[in-house]
Amino acid sequence: MNIIVLIKQVPNTSEVKLDPKTGNLIREGVETIINPDDLHALETAVTLKETYGGTITVLTMGPPQAMDALSEAIGMGADKAILLSDRAFSGADTWATSYTLGKAIQHIGDYDLILAGRQAIDGDTAQVGPQVADFLGLPQVTYVFDIEAVTTDYVVVKRRLEDGYERIQCSLPALLTVIPGAKHPRYPLVSRLLLACREKAPIKIWNAADIRVTTAEIGLDGSLTQVIRTFAPKFERQGEFLEGSTSGMVQNLIARFKENKLI
Amino acid sequence: MIRSNPEELIRKTIARFVDAEIIPVAQQLDKEGEFPREIFQKLAQMGTFGIRYPVNKGGAGGNTTLYCIICEELARGLVSVASITAMQCLMGTNFLFHHGTDEMREEYFLPAMRGEKIGCFCMTEPDAGSDLGAITTRASEVEGGYLINGMKTWVTDGPEASFYTVMCQTDPKKKLRGIGYFFVPRHFPGVSVSPRFECLGTRTTPICEVAFRDVFIPKEYRLTPEGEGLNSFLKIIAEIRAMTAALAVGLQRAATDDSIKYANERVASGQTIGKFQLIQAKIANMATNLEASKLLTYKAAAMIDAGRDALKEASMAKYFATEAACSAADECTRIFAGYGYSMEYSAQRYFRDTRFLLSGGGTHEVLQSNIARWAGV
Repeated sequence: MNIIVLIKQVPNTSEVKLDPKTGNLIREGVETIINPDDLHALETAVTLKETYGGTITVLTMGPPQAMDALSEAIGMGADKAILLSDRAFSGADTWATSYTLGKAIQHIGDYDLILAGRQAIDGDTAQVGPQVADFLGLPQVTYVFDIEAVTTDYVVVKRRLEDGYERIQCSLPALLTVIPGAKHPRYPLVSRLLLACREKAPIKIWNAADIRVTTAEIGLDGSLTQVIRTFAPKFERQGEFLEGSTSGMVQNLIARFKENKLI
Repeated sequence: MIRSNPEELIRKTIARFVDAEIIPVAQQLDKEGEFPREIFQKLAQMGTFGIRYPVNKGGAGGNTTLYCIICEELARGLVSVASITAMQCLMGTNFLFHHGTDEMREEYFLPAMRGEKIGCFCMTEPDAGSDLGAITTRASEVEGGYLINGMKTWVTDGPEASFYTVMCQTDPKKKLRGIGYFFVPRHFPGVSVSPRFECLGTRTTPICEVAFRDVFIPKEYRLTPEGEGLNSFLKIIAEIRAMTAALAVGLQRAATDDSIKYANERVASGQTIGKFQLIQAKIANMATNLEASKLLTYKAAAMIDAGRDALKEASMAKYFATEAACSAADECTRIFAGYGYSMEYSAQRYFRDTRFLLSGGGTHEVLQSNIARWAGV
């Protein structure tokens, strides 16, 4: 089974702050990580490979620093990795990103399954996986947390719903977006991390010409949406939970109303 | 060609492991004082123990610098986990790897890399530590092999080990020139292991005595050729000291980070205590010592990787970084004041764990004496 895994290198947003003037993320000095949902996609791929054999190709689009995410993916067990890096790719919205990834996947060619994380923690759109499937004309299942069966023709997966799950049989090739499952993503093997740092590492860098796209189709020019402004919401009002017995909370509430001259 | 920096990548990976798997349980592990088997197995699964050995022989293809980075990061979480790892990567398996037969490597070295067997190093004796010429454990040549007789103490990981690399005297008249290393599996008749010692710090690291009484080992279990024992020791001791310095750097980082965080949170007289100059002075000293310790440690490691003689530099690094760790742990307990005295906080653990670093890899009194001699007196 040949699997392509889409990953994204993101700032560890638990530590990120917004520049109050520009509204942009302050990325300087912030650790970058593989997007957490994408780690689960990688773990799913490596587990499938261990069971059914095949190869795993990891694909990401980003600046040269995204190489670290690919090295880590190699460390976790991916066989090959491709970095889509070109100034012309920058400023892409989710559509232009999906288009670029889709063209790269067409260039890779032979695959049975594409796995992606549900959504990235920096943008939280959850759009790229489904849009890539749409571009490639593939069936897709989102919010997958378990793969129960794999044959040469189809997969049976569990898809998380708000109040339960669906069991879906999906023909192959297909694209699945993955959420955390029962298995925690493994730590990389030290030897494979070091292998990924060598010049002969199985990592390629492709630019726009390599995947045969024009600049009008990609990056800012190829984007259907534009971000007009980014800002951090101001927390001017803060909620407060009153605790204690019902009568105590009511008395407390009335006292607060009186204190603020509301009654 | 763009590629990741191996040192940054390994540091980031081990740091993530430490933050997720060690720091949340460090206090509990220290309190329980049991061998941290689960963490040990996870480190084995990552292939950490093979960092110094070539890939085609069961290792990870790294070097001393990467080994020190791993030790430093682990020590930031818990010094005893770092010391157990350090032993498995270096002293416990080094002589077996370089001088053992293929069969021995298959039976002991590869399982050690997988975390299935634990190796350790027996050097110190009740009456001989830094004075190696005084060791009395004898390896006597007999038909087909050697008989080992003697007592070793302060054997790190001894209670958990499956095999021992034992420093022995082959001919007392030769003193230092007579020493050599011998491989002794624990299950061989005549090996007895004491209960683990109750220690002040590094409480998950098991330490004990190991006695050898007429233990017969086949001749191929001699790990260093006649007359080569001292040279082998001199080759490994620089790496042991660089590693110990890295452990001290890790401990310093933990003590310094905790101190800075606390100084920025704790309020006294209407302001955080970090605003007081006396606290600032402590933090400034800790930060400066830490930076100097890193420079000394990684200079020594780089020299070892370049194949240069680094005994002086590694000794200086071990001496300076450990003294700085003692100072950082002391200052950390002062900055935490009453909470630094409480077993609930990590400050006391840092303070206790520094004692392990003081003697491991050579006492500072001996190191100072050596450094002074190298300096010209």
